[in-house]
Amino acid sequence: MAHDKKHTDQHAHTDHSGHSEEHFREKHLMLDPLPRGQMNDMVMESMLEKPTWKWWLVFGFLAFVVVYFLFYQWGILITKGQGQAGVMRGDYWGIFLVNTVFWIGISHAGTFISAILRVFRAEFRRPFTRAAELMTTFGLVQAGFSIFMHMGRVWVFYWLMPYPNQRMLWPNLHSPLTWDLLAITTYLLSSTMYLFLPLIPDVAMARDRSTGWRKNLYKVLALGFRGTEGEWTHLRNAMNIFAFAIIPVMFSVHTIVSWDFAAATRPGWSSTIFGPYFIVGALHSGMGAAVVVLAVIRGTMKHMDYFVRGEHFDAIGKLMLIISMAWAYFFFNDYMVQWYGGDKWTQQLLHFHEAGPLGWMWFGMLFTNIVIPWAILWNPKWRANPWLVGFVGIAINVGMWFERYIIIPVSATINRMPFTWRMYTPGIEVPMGIGTVAFFILLYMAASKLIPLIPVWEVQEGQMAHELKKFGRETVVSVSELE
Amino acid sequence: MTEEKKVVDLLAVFSDLAPAADAVEQLRMMGVHDDCMNVISGVPVTEAMLGRPHQWTNVPRIAMGGAILGMGAGIFLAYASPFLYAYPIQVSTQSFVPGPPTVVVIFELTMLGMLLSTFLGVFLDSFFPNYRPMKYVPEISDGKIAIFVECKHVEEKKVTDLLKKLGAESVKPAEAQHL
Amino acid sequence: MIRPDEIKLSAEETGKWGMVINQDICTGCQACAAACAMENNISFVGEEDSGYGRSMHWIRIERFWEGEYPEVKMTPQQPMLCQQCGHATCEPVCPAFATVHSQAEQLNLQVYNRCVGTRYCANNCPYQVRAFNWRDYKRPEPLPNQLNPDVTVRRMGVMEKCTFCIQRIHKAQDKAKSEGREVMDGEFTTACAQACPANAIVFGRVDNPESLVSQLAHKGHGVKHLEELGTLPNITYFKGG
Repeated sequence: MAHDKKHTDQHAHTDHSGHSEEHFREKHLMLDPLPRGQMNDMVMESMLEKPTWKWWLVFGFLAFVVVYFLFYQWGILITKGQGQAGVMRGDYWGIFLVNTVFWIGISHAGTFISAILRVFRAEFRRPFTRAAELMTTFGLVQAGFSIFMHMGRVWVFYWLMPYPNQRMLWPNLHSPLTWDLLAITTYLLSSTMYLFLPLIPDVAMARDRSTGWRKNLYKVLALGFRGTEGEWTHLRNAMNIFAFAIIPVMFSVHTIVSWDFAAATRPGWSSTIFGPYFIVGALHSGMGAAVVVLAVIRGTMKHMDYFVRGEHFDAIGKLMLIISMAWAYFFFNDYMVQWYGGDKWTQQLLHFHEAGPLGWMWFGMLFTNIVIPWAILWNPKWRANPWLVGFVGIAINVGMWFERYIIIPVSATINRMPFTWRMYTPGIEVPMGIGTVAFFILLYMAASKLIPLIPVWEVQEGQMAHELKKFGRETVVSVSELE
Repeated sequence: MTEEKKVVDLLAVFSDLAPAADAVEQLRMMGVHDDCMNVISGVPVTEAMLGRPHQWTNVPRIAMGGAILGMGAGIFLAYASPFLYAYPIQVSTQSFVPGPPTVVVIFELTMLGMLLSTFLGVFLDSFFPNYRPMKYVPEISDGKIAIFVECKHVEEKKVTDLLKKLGAESVKPAEAQHL
Repeated sequence: MIRPDEIKLSAEETGKWGMVINQDICTGCQACAAACAMENNISFVGEEDSGYGRSMHWIRIERFWEGEYPEVKMTPQQPMLCQQCGHATCEPVCPAFATVHSQAEQLNLQVYNRCVGTRYCANNCPYQVRAFNWRDYKRPEPLPNQLNPDVTVRRMGVMEKCTFCIQRIHKAQDKAKSEGREVMDGEFTTACAQACPANAIVFGRVDNPESLVSQLAHKGHGVKHLEELGTLPNITYFKGG
């Protein structure tokens, strides 16, 4: 729908700081509407752009890494046993669990962006909700892989599921791992459905503009969507329900993951603050990963610089700064209470964290999670720079991986039986973990060529609602509540 | 006689919201019933914007039903499954139906039931998947608004002129085609 | 809904098995560990894996010392094995119900053919007494001839731990039942207690006040390790007496 309201006004509006309308249009996607047909073209072109040899090189390399490091090594792990990993008596959980928590953490950012920002009507979310939701789904796939990797007899994993069987054996509901199974299954299904619902109108658009096998693919995925009043009503109603309902699911998922540790009686694990601490940690690493994904999309795909602008990195950067402060608060809470009144084992543990062989990891975690975000993200100009914010995002993810490594293998080294204390050295978990990262990127690259990454109908909806208004001498952005 | 009774489907494509809303109003004044009109658009435009009657949806009711089913599954798992084995299995000194884990299990399964059924509700209410030939023009996904009018054959010219006067880009008979 | 404390069992089934371990007379000879390994078909892990902390011993002798060389003082050896906790922290956390509480013998059972290998139970054991089968360890010939037919041989991916020689408990109970009597105190004992040359390990019914183990346990100067955690362990240790 083409309505360039700006062009109807012949006078150039300027506000008191001299910002022209041009400036607003350049900065804000919502104030820079293009005809829908043109935006559709841009998104389709971006998706259909023929991959260069560089793209194929990266894709091929990642595919090799996935096949060899992930699947082949997993085969070795299954046939030779968990002895291939670095775990032993004293520390029975290692990097597989670290990766599980890490990937579930990353997946939370997608839900945050597409659900919480939608509920709070943060308009800046519009162009990247789908990119974020893809992160959630693909991240949960890696988390699922990682948890299966750690199981001693993974071929009987289905015994953990509730299903009627001849012996009438049901899973143990007392166990946090059973809650994990229910919560992660719920979350995976819900976020995939929540990814699919807003995708339907965009896939319908792609169907209308494709030929050949793509047209068949989109025709099937679009389910016959036309855009009738009824279809829009049902879709939006469902999306509203999802947005509100998936928020408590998201909170419950990472809380339950944290209870895998908090429900245990080990020093360093039995901490009452793990629930909210892990949620904030998940958002921390997730937003960092989201920003990296967006920076890469904007930098490598055609026309994405129209949809994803500095203002979006600025907004996410602000969120990252706040979440970093929240994480620091929760970390300090957990640490201070343990340091102050902790028993002798906890005191030993804290000392081991800071002054043990992996003390560099502990300090590195604090530096990348707190110092780097606080040093860079306070500045609005720096926040609008995609690559700088992307760098902060990578640093945060490194720091959060360190944090989970410290919570799981490092804390597990110190238990109440000093005779069993031993350093954990990773084994086959390293190549398999790298394999999951490669698989995540691989899935994302494939998705970027198969489905439209930008929810164009939501962008247009937002552009319809935004306009520039004069308040006295000042020109301000005005948002109408069209829903 | 049959000629007069014959009903024709017209498809008018508008490029803007305001003319489309005008068209709906004018058509209603002309005597075309709301049920004989259908609006298709590339962005969700609310009924209020177009002056259309409220669109009912069953999705919330289906969601609620699914939530109740999910809660039932959770209650079964928490309260019944420990007693299905030959004798209840004792772990530590926790009771066979422990308090906090029951809350967790019932909550998760209720949410799962609600969200699965919401998704299903969209499919049911919209009759998805629908791969039969449907009346549609691809320009709609380019942001146009289309109005389907079902009117008697005799009124076809009147309706067509009215729509063209109000700014329709094109008015033609609607054909069902594969999407 | 039956609560755990309401379960009624017949007289010969209500066992409450416990031990007394005298750390002062333990010499650290590891005969108990060897006997346990032979009785319970424990795998031979090898030097490398064992050094990394993957030994499969169900009972281990922990030795500590005080002071710096050359003023080093020995402290009592500490045989550590599954305490068969009344309030076991390992039981609720297994998602597959592979470690459950036996209401008949009041022992903590490990069900090998249900274990999926998540190892949460081992993480949650404060005594760190659980052994996991990290690999399919080979038994070079002629060691398979030594296997005890009363005990399952475990495969990789499955958790195991001390069972208070439950196969011996059952054998003695069956024998007593067929003879129409109760099991007598001292009629049988666990492999570790049987092998100990110093008689540092005493095993028996702690719910029978006349058994040797009860009398020793109630002498007064026994301690229970980590009992402040509320695990209700069934082994009393004598230390520094």
